[in-house]
Amino acid sequence: MAAEVALEVENIHKRFGALDVLKGISLTARQGDVISLIGASGSGKSTFLRCINLLETPDSGDVRVQGELIAMKKTRSGENVPADRRQVDRIRSRLGMVFQGFNLWSHKTVLENVIEAPIHVLGVARAEAVDRAEALLAKVGIADKRHVYPGHLSGGQQQRAAIARALAMEPAVMLFDEPTSALDPELVGEVLKVMRDLAEEGRTMLVVTHEMGFAREVSSHVMYLHQGRVEEEGPPSQVFGNPSSERCRQFLAKLL
Amino acid sequence: MWELLSFGDKGWGDDLALGAILTLQLAFASLGLGLVFGLATAGMKLSGNRVLLGLANGFTTAIRGIPDLLTLFLIYFGSQFAIQTLLSLFGYEGQVEVNGFWAGVLALSLVFGGYSSEVFRGAFLAIPKGQIEAAKAVGMPPALIFRRVLLPQVWRYALPGLGNLWLSLIKDTSLISVIALDELLRKTFIAVGITKEPFLFYGIACLIYLAITTVSTGVIMRLEAWSERGVRRA
Repeated sequence: MAAEVALEVENIHKRFGALDVLKGISLTARQGDVISLIGASGSGKSTFLRCINLLETPDSGDVRVQGELIAMKKTRSGENVPADRRQVDRIRSRLGMVFQGFNLWSHKTVLENVIEAPIHVLGVARAEAVDRAEALLAKVGIADKRHVYPGHLSGGQQQRAAIARALAMEPAVMLFDEPTSALDPELVGEVLKVMRDLAEEGRTMLVVTHEMGFAREVSSHVMYLHQGRVEEEGPPSQVFGNPSSERCRQFLAKLL
Repeated sequence: MWELLSFGDKGWGDDLALGAILTLQLAFASLGLGLVFGLATAGMKLSGNRVLLGLANGFTTAIRGIPDLLTLFLIYFGSQFAIQTLLSLFGYEGQVEVNGFWAGVLALSLVFGGYSSEVFRGAFLAIPKGQIEAAKAVGMPPALIFRRVLLPQVWRYALPGLGNLWLSLIKDTSLISVIALDELLRKTFIAVGITKEPFLFYGIACLIYLAITTVSTGVIMRLEAWSERGVRRA
């Protein structure tokens, strides 16, 4: 029996002015899927990820999280906007996002970063939030840094803290937007290791990445985007081993 | 000389002290209200609403373009006129006198608000956008983002500018002496008028203002250090 659908995205279009960034991208993530989005810079993969939790508003297309459709409406000028901001906030709380630039709140310690949203968005009791946060920080290997401010951590530690912050919401899907692209090469491994562990324990993950090793070994499904379209997709063995698209073949040849 | 400065019937020490206390009350009340005006005006400028932006820019332009003393007159005499006119509509024809303290506070806080709105605007824009995105991404509504992410961090960027405005504000309280409120400078005038010792009393007034501003500078430095907690020094 197939696992339950965690996330369903249908036919997303997005344009920035004259630039057509996404030309109809769809994706279905079942529980436990790890989907890697690969492609050259400017192929639209990050924009697509950001459309899922509405950090970018798609011009058209549907997003369903655990079956719940994000309701959109058209303004008088024809702009596509969320019909209910509160629904968007609620859905966002079920999607964990990890950014390229970490984006930790710099006035809060690592622990405060992790307990902030569970307490103030989900209404979890402080003591419980702290217990859970400490367990998560231990899991990502920075329990000893819990009272340190982000500015005093290495990039790899900051990104692991950001992953713990996202996990603290117990999200249905984790969205990773080039999580290792801002890291010094020697720090990439520690973040990928955490992501591998998450994949192994059955987390549903969407990963925009340039780490082909990760995409090949960890993903259950790989999507290669080119100029706002899905050019090639399938299990990693197919995409990496025998791609049908010549462009995808060339893209991979340059990287591998 | 010491007799002139003593506390009690013969000396002016107690009068100057009371004046200094009133000066501080004016300054702190104007700071509180002025911060509210400044934040609100900055909020209007950043709201993305064209009407609010126009109103806020008009307010800042007026406040920064009009001499502070004139702003005080406009508030003091203008509010008197306005209240009188309003009451006469209801048939009341008596004399109305506006409370000089609150007229002064209103004028000074409008001035502080006009200038500080620009400081706040810059400070809000200096907070990295990614931190706001991270807050949105965990499902925080705008009011919560403002309270938990923006407001605690805005001080880091605003304090140096606000510190300058606070020192200006302390000195501007002396303008209120012209509407016969017995703050430090007016008390000093009176003392000079009676004792004919201008050098002594103006000198003392200078020292008192200097003492207040010096202590303020120390406090501002402490606040800046606090606001930069967690930030690695370059």
